[in-house]
Amino acid sequence: MSPITLILIALGLGLLGWLAGRAKAWSFASSDPALRPASRPIYHAWYVALWVVIPVLVFVVAWSVIAPQLVLQTVLTSPAADGLPVFGFERDAFLGEARAVALGQAPGVFNDEAEPLIVPFRDAFSYYNTIGILVTVLIAAAGGALAFLRLRPQFGARTRVERTVMMILLLASLVAILTTLGIFVSLVFETVRFFGMVSPIDFLFGTKWGPDTMGSPDAVDPSRYGAIPLFWGTIFIGAIIAMIVAIPLGLMSAIYLTQYADPKVRTWIKPLLELLAGVPTVVYGYFAALTLAPMIRDAAVAIGITSASTESALAAGIVMGVMIIPFVSSMADDSMAAVPGAMRDGSLAMGATKSETIRKVLFPAALPGIVAGIMLAVSRAIGETMIVVMAASPAANFTANPLEPMSTVTVQIVKLLTGEQSTDHPATLSAYALGFVLFMVTLALNFIALRVVKRFREAYE
Amino acid sequence: MTVIHPNMADESAKIRARDVCVFYGDKKAIDEVSIDISPNYVTAFIGPSGCGKSTFLRCFNRMNDTIGTAKVTGLIELDGEDIHGSRMDVVQLRARVGMVFQKPNPFPKSIYENIAYGPKIHGLAEKKADLDIVVERSLTRAGLWDEVKDRLEDSGTALSGGQQQRLCIARAIAVDPEVILMDEPASALDPIATAKIEELIDELSGRYAIVIVTHSMQQAARVSQRTAFFHLGKMVEYGPTSEIFTNPIEERTKDYITGRYG
Repeated sequence: MSPITLILIALGLGLLGWLAGRAKAWSFASSDPALRPASRPIYHAWYVALWVVIPVLVFVVAWSVIAPQLVLQTVLTSPAADGLPVFGFERDAFLGEARAVALGQAPGVFNDEAEPLIVPFRDAFSYYNTIGILVTVLIAAAGGALAFLRLRPQFGARTRVERTVMMILLLASLVAILTTLGIFVSLVFETVRFFGMVSPIDFLFGTKWGPDTMGSPDAVDPSRYGAIPLFWGTIFIGAIIAMIVAIPLGLMSAIYLTQYADPKVRTWIKPLLELLAGVPTVVYGYFAALTLAPMIRDAAVAIGITSASTESALAAGIVMGVMIIPFVSSMADDSMAAVPGAMRDGSLAMGATKSETIRKVLFPAALPGIVAGIMLAVSRAIGETMIVVMAASPAANFTANPLEPMSTVTVQIVKLLTGEQSTDHPATLSAYALGFVLFMVTLALNFIALRVVKRFREAYE
Repeated sequence: MTVIHPNMADESAKIRARDVCVFYGDKKAIDEVSIDISPNYVTAFIGPSGCGKSTFLRCFNRMNDTIGTAKVTGLIELDGEDIHGSRMDVVQLRARVGMVFQKPNPFPKSIYENIAYGPKIHGLAEKKADLDIVVERSLTRAGLWDEVKDRLEDSGTALSGGQQQRLCIARAIAVDPEVILMDEPASALDPIATAKIEELIDELSGRYAIVIVTHSMQQAARVSQRTAFFHLGKMVEYGPTSEIFTNPIEERTKDYITGRYG
């Protein structure tokens, strides 16, 4: 019996409670026409239904964790389990097979030793399913009855239902916040462990990156964990090359769309431009690695730069810049549109041309919002992984030549955490430290950007 | 049918409009309006909301061009020159015909930069010293110099509403226009600020031809020498302000003046 069944039962009972609550509330109104109930019948209905469904949902969540343990416990204490190996791989395999057959997920057992366990499993499942259904119905009935008996003409069902709705919404938003917090805490733990092996000074200011993934975890060479080349590569690709592409193109397209484009053209081009943001980054990665990078190398070789690499920072940066254009342009678009029309009229009425008006009035007025948009775009670019994994290099060079291969923080994290690795090797842990730095930087950028946007909004209200 | 009082046809008219119609899409907002605006007087446009007086005002500096759906027909001349003609550059036109809006709209720049904006874009003053003179003269004419001379670098948006509106007037004056259009310039201001604006209009009249749109009949009576009454997109009556307010010819004008509607 899956939790789905229990939830369906709960919803069915909830519907019954809903109808019963409404019927009772109707009876108040019809019994005494002069009476004005505090809440409309629909709220009484929802009040009862919520009291039926919510306790059951809590039970179902708990039960779906507990029940499999109870089933296993019952099977293991049955005489049929005496023949099982005491522990180890085989024991788990036999139990798993017998369970699958009992649930009808497998046609038969592979190991004969699992055979006698099928029946105890089947019995245990049906036993606990019955208990699960009974408890579900009991809880639903108890909750419903409790709520139903509290209904009175002057009962404030509306305020209680509204408060419950608010609590549900609050819980939903807490999930995201708690997840972020959890990610942060786990990062901090692993980072602290890493800094126990390699000092933060060596990590943050060292200029040579080349973790020895095969070396002994006990003999750490801190000089191989200098992350400066990675930070530089990340900034060079994400914040310099990508922005050189994205800022002018994004701003110019925003200016065209808000100020010059015919409304008909705008309704076509704007969604198309925003489509860019919906292209999976892995597709951009293909484009960078397979199309643009060879082209750039060939062009560089043709003008005599023979050292040019097919994994150049330039290719990754350019494609990333293209990916970021919609971020820059839509933020710039929004903040230019937020500049009051009176400002524009004032400038035009002074005899300023359209481009003078844009350059001297609209753009400066929208600048804080535009800057915030660029910061969000940068934080997006330096956290971007797929394009650089495919187009940038795993080799962490510390150079300012865009034609040379360069690596970024995200590329190294992927490299360190994929494939065979030991969880307490410093090379693995260094990935968490890198992630932590990245997290702090993007968090700071987002925070500042949001503050700037907020202040800017207030300026016109 | 428009009633025009005797002696209103003006040989030296600054602005001459003939059979002007304005359409917003299919809707006719202004219907065949003809008027002569004298350079020597303040002309007030009055009428109930939605009568088209602001729309008509915006024809004189072609601000209706900025509204995609608006279309203006008929003839409008500034000093005998067709403002829609091929020889007329809209940038030049707006330098000659300044405008002050209903809500003060200083640019989010310093007070100095607000005034210097127009002279800079029109190349009227290249050197800082020349600009300083223009800024001081404009602010002085707008009666704002004494209040702001010590804080010219403060943002124009930090001023009070009335000061902002006088800043906008100073900004319009700075490019030395021939005509100043004012679209309900005091409707967003308190009575004291309004009085200052009216005083200012009085001082500026004679130097510039001023056309003011106003909701307030008292204001029209106080500041203008010529009044045009608009109703439902038509100009109903045009004449000397004293005549319009004491001895209107049209029944509708009389009803509006005496507060029977509007």
